[in-house]
Formats: sequence, structure tokens, C-alpha cells
Amino acid sequence: MNWRLCWLSWLAAVACSLALAGFPAAAELLPAPAGVDASAIAKGAEGSLRADRTFFRARMTVTSPRLARPRVIEFSSWEDLPRKRSFVRIHRPAKDAGTSFLKQHPNLWMYIPRVERTVRVPPSMMSQSWMGSDFSNDDLVRESSEIEDYSHRLLGVDPDEGQGSGAYVLEYLPHESVAVVWGRIVAWIDIESGFALRQEFYDEDGEKLRLLRFEDVREVEGRRVPHRWTLTPLDKEGHETRIEMLEIAFDPELADSIFTRRNLEKGR
Amino acid sequence: MPQRIEVRLAWRNVWRNWRRTALTVAATVFAVFLVEMSVAMSAGTHSKMIEDGVKMASGHLTLSGRGYLEQRTLEQFVPASAELERLLDRTEAIIGWAARVSSFALLSFGDRSNGVAVLGVDPARESSVSSLPTRVSSGRFLSSDGRREIVLGAALARDLAAEVGDELLLYGIAYSLETAYELFRVVGILRIPSPDLERALALISLRDAQEFFVYGDRVSEIAILARDAEAGLALRDPLEAALVALGTEGLELYGWAELMPELEQFVLLDRGGMYLQLIILVVVVGFGILNTILMSVLERTRELGVMRALGLSSGAVSRIVYLESMAVSAVGLVIGLALAAPCALYFEQNPIPLRGEFEAMTELLGMEPLIVFDFAPAQVGYVSLMVAIVALLAAAYPAFKAGRLRPVDALRSL
Repeated sequence: MNWRLCWLSWLAAVACSLALAGFPAAAELLPAPAGVDASAIAKGAEGSLRADRTFFRARMTVTSPRLARPRVIEFSSWEDLPRKRSFVRIHRPAKDAGTSFLKQHPNLWMYIPRVERTVRVPPSMMSQSWMGSDFSNDDLVRESSEIEDYSHRLLGVDPDEGQGSGAYVLEYLPHESVAVVWGRIVAWIDIESGFALRQEFYDEDGEKLRLLRFEDVREVEGRRVPHRWTLTPLDKEGHETRIEMLEIAFDPELADSIFTRRNLEKGR
Repeated sequence: MPQRIEVRLAWRNVWRNWRRTALTVAATVFAVFLVEMSVAMSAGTHSKMIEDGVKMASGHLTLSGRGYLEQRTLEQFVPASAELERLLDRTEAIIGWAARVSSFALLSFGDRSNGVAVLGVDPARESSVSSLPTRVSSGRFLSSDGRREIVLGAALARDLAAEVGDELLLYGIAYSLETAYELFRVVGILRIPSPDLERALALISLRDAQEFFVYGDRVSEIAILARDAEAGLALRDPLEAALVALGTEGLELYGWAELMPELEQFVLLDRGGMYLQLIILVVVVGFGILNTILMSVLERTRELGVMRALGLSSGAVSRIVYLESMAVSAVGLVIGLALAAPCALYFEQNPIPLRGEFEAMTELLGMEPLIVFDFAPAQVGYVSLMVAIVALLAAAYPAFKAGRLRPVDALRSL
């Protein structure tokens, strides 16, 4: 037995795996140009996804190996970020029509018209699926901001993504003092247009859990907005949730009467 | 016959200072008694802890879909199978089994709501596996033909301010990814000696659960109870083989220790503490024996010197001292065991109830407030072995010292 050879090959294997583990995706990235402000890029990308006040109507399609046909949910959302409140009303399927969600910091309320009950969704339910999709209740009422609660670092430029000149690859790491769901987010942001292409979400152990893609960019009120969001959970094989925007309005007038228990219990 | 004379001399020495001998015997008896009782008590406590824990939830073995340990969602399930049921019924080591649906949902009453662990159980079968049906503190358990009945842990009922007769809303996501919501009427409240479980557990009937979660005739798990933990362990491999022979792909058997690692760790930790305590006790006994024998040797320096001068070999003198110590320990051991065994057997039949603070403490650990003994012949074996080894070690130094005496020096001493 040639022990030295054994040792060497073992060392080589360790070195290889260390290199692979330590620099994921780093191999194909080009170095970032100097003088680029990672936080500014992240902020710009976030701005193309949502404004302070947003109204949208969307169709959510949930695909799963459990389902013969995808489950389709249509809903409207009113979001008032500065005042930490939002409202969501389900239109389809018929069984859930009128089911509504009201977030009034720090509470989340849900109204189910079929049984005429209002339920406060407790913190222990936040990680549970929202309406059977791969989004969680937490995603619906997300308190954390990818801008304020994370620090941003430019990893490099991915020439294969985006239009023409590639995409910035950014790493978001949560500030220590903030309680957030994710341990790390890696975002691809188009260099030319500055909007987000996709994001990968990692847990605290460094395991990649979900992939979120932004596609079908169209112009709304002078802003370029992705109209299709696709979420792929990586721990559930064959599952996927797609949200297609049917209607978007940025910074509309949002009356206080929207964000009330009364409106919640009005149903459809 | 040198051998004979040593025995006779040793025997005579034992009786010559009978007070000293009696004290040594008493010390040994006391130690043996304590060791045997604490061994029986911790054996009893540990098996009781395991049985209680196992009957609260998982059974000794749990059959479910692969990945159940990590995920415990509706994704892991056991499809309905008459063959599987026949196999479980036929296997002799299985004394009970029950199918369940388990998932997470939201339970709401008035303006209060809680995330709960919903367990769909077959009211007729559940009592063959778990103690849950016997823990009803008010109202009753689920009935076999009742619909939309729910039984709550007492702490959960308190959190929701719900009582027997109230109608609660259960909301969750079904296997079909639809939203599921239904009103359930509280029929009973459970006192469960585990605060976590009592705060989280809500039981509905298996049939209601399958309907609520649109689960068809699947079940999340089948809990299997054996005679005891040991039998459960022995059952695992043959059952696994039988399941493979049945062609049940994607199913997995989990042992209680995998499902409740904290329980196993607690038992191991406690067992470690017991061993430490035993070692201390036995060492103390060892020093007691060492002390008496050494004293008796020092006391008799002159006498032993005379024996050496009369021609007894140094080995013979050592052997005499050894024999003395063996005789004393053996008598102590026999009396100690003779006292301890009936006591342990008595407490095995009549467990000691705990009150006050201890009661609260054991409840925190999810146990019945009882001190249970478990007496087994094997314990007598290893307690005897331990005491014998210690007695041999303790007598070594005095015996060595006695053998080393030079007759000239010895005769000169007092």
C-alpha cells in the first residue's frame, strides 16, 4: 500500500471540497468594477419591486406533485409601508372568496366569511404556508426590510445573467441585532436596468432553501416592474408558486378605512 | 495441612473481636442495602419515564413516511393498507397499535387563537397505545361516532379561555393545499403531565382529521406499543424485515429514542448520575473495610510476629488477613441483599407517591409523580460483584502489610 499516495489524494480531496464549499459560484463571477456602492444597487432594485404605497391585483398559481391541476388564487393587496399596515383580499377560488387579511403592526388578522369569524394569526403560525402556497404568512406581513436590516456586499459580476452587460451579484447579510428569517440572501441585479433578476435565500446553517425569480418586466407608470414572481422552495421537490401581476398602482391614495376591522369583515 | 490452619485462624480472628466485626458487617450491610435500593429505584424510574413518555405520544415504534423525523408534515404518510393492518395484528410482540393524522393548525375561540398540534386519533384504538384517553380531567374523550368533536390540553383550553361545550374554529392548510376550516365542539379537557404538550395538543377523531386535511385514507403515522422498551427494541428489526417483505416503499420505522431524543438524553444523564453515586458509595464501603482490617492487623502485630516466628509463611499470614476480610464482606453482602430484596420487591408492588414540590417537578419532566422500583436478579449479580471487587481491593494493603512483617521487629512491638 502506498501510504504517501493515499495521503496526497486525501489532501487533494479535502482541498477541492473546501474550495467548492468556500466559494460557491465564485468561480464564474467576474470581479466587480471599483467604486460601485452595493447598498445603492440593492436599494434601487428593491425600489423597482415595491413603493411606499402599492396596490396590486395578482394571480397566484401553486404547482405541486400533490395536485392534478395547479391551484389558482386571485387576490388584491394594499400595502402602506411607512405606516406598517397592509390589507389583502382573496377573490378566487370561490371557497376562499372574501377571505381577508389585515396587518396592523404587530398584529395579523384574518377573516373567514364562510364561518363569519375573525382570527388573530399568532406568531407561532407565521412560518406556516399562506393560502397553501410556498409563501409563508411571514412573507405576507414581512416586517424586515432587505435594505435596512441587512448589510450589502458586492460579490462580483455574472456575465451570463441579465441583458447585455450582465448582472451584479450581491450578498445580503442580516445585521446582528435584527431577528430575520434568513441567514443570507444572494441577489442578482441587472446592471443596465438596475432591477432584481433573482434571489437565493439561505438559512442560518448556510443551506439554500428557496429561489425567487423576477421576470416579465413591463412598464407601469413610468417604472419598469417585473410582473411575474416565481418562488421555488428547494426543500420540497416539485413545488412552485408563481405570482402574476394583473394590475399595479404605485403610490395610490390609500384611505384609512381600508385598514380597519370593519373593512376586514365586510367580505368581498 | 496449611490451608486448614489458615481458615481456622481467620475464623477465630473474626470472632475474637466480635464488636469490630459486627461494625464492619453493619457498614457493609448498610452500603449494600443502599446500593441495591438505589439501583432498583433508578431502574424503575428510568423504565417508568420511558413508558410514560412513550405512552404520551409516539409508542415504542412509529411507522411513517421517510423524512418524518425531520419534517413531520402531511407530506410524510402511510397509505391505507389492509395487509399492513393484518401484519400489525398478527405480530405477537405488538400489544397495541393506532393510526393517527398529525399536523399543525390554528385554533381560535373568541378573540384568542393559538397554533396547535392537531392529532387525529381513532377513539376506539387510541387507548391500546397511549394514555391520552385516560387523562380526561373534565368532559369526556372523543366518541367513536361523534363528529366534529375536539379535546384540548388543559393549558391550551386555558390559553383560549375555552370550556367544554364551546365551539372553536380550526383553520389550516389541507394536503390538497386548500384552506381548511371547520367548527369543532369541545367535548373534553386533558391533563397531560408535560406542559409543552398540554399547551399545544388538540385531538380530533381520525375520520374528521382525514376529512379536514383532505387526506383520503392516508394516515401520518402508526404508533406501535410493545410490552416494554426492550421488547420494542427487539421488535424493530423483524418488523422492518416484514414491512420490506410486504413491499411498503417509502415507509420508515422510528424508535422512541429518535422521536424523543430529549427523553433518552435525560435517562442517560440520570443513569450517569446514578453510577457516580454508586461509585462513591462503594468507595466509602471500601475504605470502611480497609480501615477495620488495617486496624486489626496493626493491633495484632506482635501476635502475627509470633505466628511468623513459629514457622507460618508470609503468604499464609497474608491469606489469613484476606480470608477475614472476605468473610466479613460476604456476611455483610448476604444480609444486605436479604434486607434489600424484599424492600425493593415491596416498593415495586407499591410505588411511593410524591407530593408537593416533587410532584410539580416530576410533572415538569412529563412523568407521573411516583417513585417506582424495578427489582431484577441481574441487579443482585452486579451489586455482589461490585462489593466483592471492592472488598478484595480494600483487603490488599493490610494483607500485604501483614505478610511483610519481620518476626524480629514484630515481636519487639507492643
